[in-house]
Amino acid sequence: MERSLTRIALFAALIAALGLIPKIDMGIGVPITAQTLGVMLCGTILGARNGALAVLLFLALTALGLPLLSGGRGGIGVFTSASAGFLIGWPIAAFVTGALMGWMKEVSTAGTFNAAVAGGIGVVYLFGVPGIALVAGKPLVEAFWGSMVFVPGDVVKAGICALVTVAVARARPGLVQA
Amino acid sequence: MLTLTSSRHTALHDWSAGGKLAGLAVFSVALFALPGLWSLAGLGLPLAATLALGLFPEWLRLFRPLVWMGLVILAWHGLTGTAPEGLTAVLRMFAAFGAANLVTMTTRLTDMQAVFLWLARPLAPVIPPARLALAMALVIRFVPVLALRADQLSQAWRARSPRRIGWPLVFAITLAALDDAEHVAEALQARGGTE
Amino acid sequence: MSGIHLNDVSLSLQGKPILTGIDLHLTEARIGLIGRNGSGKTSLLRLMAGLVAPTSGRVTVEGASPTDRKALLRSLGILFQNPDHQILFPTVIEELSFGLIQQGVPKAQAQARARDALTAEGRAHWEKAATHTLSQGQRQYLCLLALLLMAPRWLLLDEPFAALDLPTEARLRRRLDALPQRLITISHAPAAVERCDRVLWLEQGRIRADGPPAQVLPEFRAQMARIGEADADTDL
Ligand SMILES: Nc1ncnc2c1ncn2[C@@H]1O[C@H](COP(=O)(O)OP(=O)(O)O)[C@@H](O)[C@H]1O
Ligand SMILES: [Mg+2]
Repeated sequence: MERSLTRIALFAALIAALGLIPKIDMGIGVPITAQTLGVMLCGTILGARNGALAVLLFLALTALGLPLLSGGRGGIGVFTSASAGFLIGWPIAAFVTGALMGWMKEVSTAGTFNAAVAGGIGVVYLFGVPGIALVAGKPLVEAFWGSMVFVPGDVVKAGICALVTVAVARARPGLVQA
Repeated sequence: MLTLTSSRHTALHDWSAGGKLAGLAVFSVALFALPGLWSLAGLGLPLAATLALGLFPEWLRLFRPLVWMGLVILAWHGLTGTAPEGLTAVLRMFAAFGAANLVTMTTRLTDMQAVFLWLARPLAPVIPPARLALAMALVIRFVPVLALRADQLSQAWRARSPRRIGWPLVFAITLAALDDAEHVAEALQARGGTE
Repeated sequence: MSGIHLNDVSLSLQGKPILTGIDLHLTEARIGLIGRNGSGKTSLLRLMAGLVAPTSGRVTVEGASPTDRKALLRSLGILFQNPDHQILFPTVIEELSFGLIQQGVPKAQAQARARDALTAEGRAHWEKAATHTLSQGQRQYLCLLALLLMAPRWLLLDEPFAALDLPTEARLRRRLDALPQRLITISHAPAAVERCDRVLWLEQGRIRADGPPAQVLPEFRAQMARIGEADADTDL
């Protein structure tokens, strides 16, 4: 009981902390924020249920007025901007990523990468694109193509997520939920 | 931790948090239901309120991350020859954002939390409110701890490497979060656990 | 059955033996626990606090099993080596009142008692302070106050002086000496347990010596000096 509660809370804090690291070199020379990486890690390390709850807890505290999103953003306002759909997709993304991890027999780099892409990119854009379309007043197809500029960065994050998850599984055998 | 609540006390701070949130919900629905020009009036409302309450500079600063988003949407509509629709969309977004920020700025975290816990009451059989409140306190406690850890680790990295920090830093703080979760679980258990 | 009993207790973690054949009956008011790094001191404390279950053997604290959390909260409190692993709340007042609330005290009353305790310690201004802004010594002190508010009969202290400067250590030591509770204090430094009633020396998971400090400490000192002088650093 205590352990799942504290893991949920600590990973919600981890998403916030990853948003505070100013610039991580993601390997392509373009510094990007690591918060979606945190969402993917919630799924790959905590599993579907606890991963989704961690992201929900993070979003709840953000909505209550804590500046936990990268760039010090927070409050209810963040759910009214064009990126609101992405935020709403986050907990579901963590859930799907975690569920896919659950199907794997062992934690492998390729498998984790695929789970992170499916959840952290597939699901996130499934919610993010309609959000853009709604707020920007644009048809879905246009919103879809418009948001493709962010995908390469997210693919890099999925790769980092896979490396980190495998390293964590090796460092703390038995703690990664797969 | 710092919250986005304004430290400058205003009359709006004394209004009930639930009332403000309900008002915000009605306001946001109306923004989307009414024709485009109304959003100009919609933006005017929080603008006038912040000017009257002396919160305007603080309120305006929160728009900073939204400006580029607005510009992109305007340019996008401009290219496809739908500039008026673009202007409406941006105005509407700014109005909803501005009103929401006004509520955030004038409501204390504890009051917000009380409304949230009240809203979450139907979930009580699955997630008891006391557990939810404890989880929230833990997050607030550990964000600065993990942020400090990330900072220390990046200093340790810089002390030994000229290259920019890469994924090993993410690994290190993820591991720190996982280990801290174990320690905190134990500390909780040592003081009676969660009911 | 008063005191802490360990009957032929062994503990293995992930297949590795950590503690072996521990037989103890602890009743003294001041008990010291010494041993080298990794000898199993912390693990022994965690066993008594019910944070790990023994692989074999039986532990009882004041007649009850440590798995009976309700009873244990009144009989025993544990101060972790690292305060950052112990502090659960963002503000001092929440941290202090939590334990009382866990013991069934209503929240408002718990907070009032926490405030009184802070005032009695001359630290009323800490009430709203954020826990992460306190210094290391202050955080440790906060952890101790939180434990004392719960008023357990036994206090287990894991290397309480390890991270403190000399004046802070002296102050904490005076405070601890004056407590009516029974104390078990872990240290790797013999000087810290010199005035105890009883000293346990743990080595590789076994009790190597058990008796009054005058009997245990000279041998401990001699052996530590011998190991320190040997130039093989292989077991650092
Ligand atoms: N959770 C754990 N899993 C495996 N081994 C552990 C664990 N905790 C401690 N140990 C091992 O148990 C031994 C004793 O550790 P500990 O009780 O912390 O010693 P001390 O407090 O005397 O330094 C060490 O060798 C340590 O590596
Ligand atoms: Mg130890």
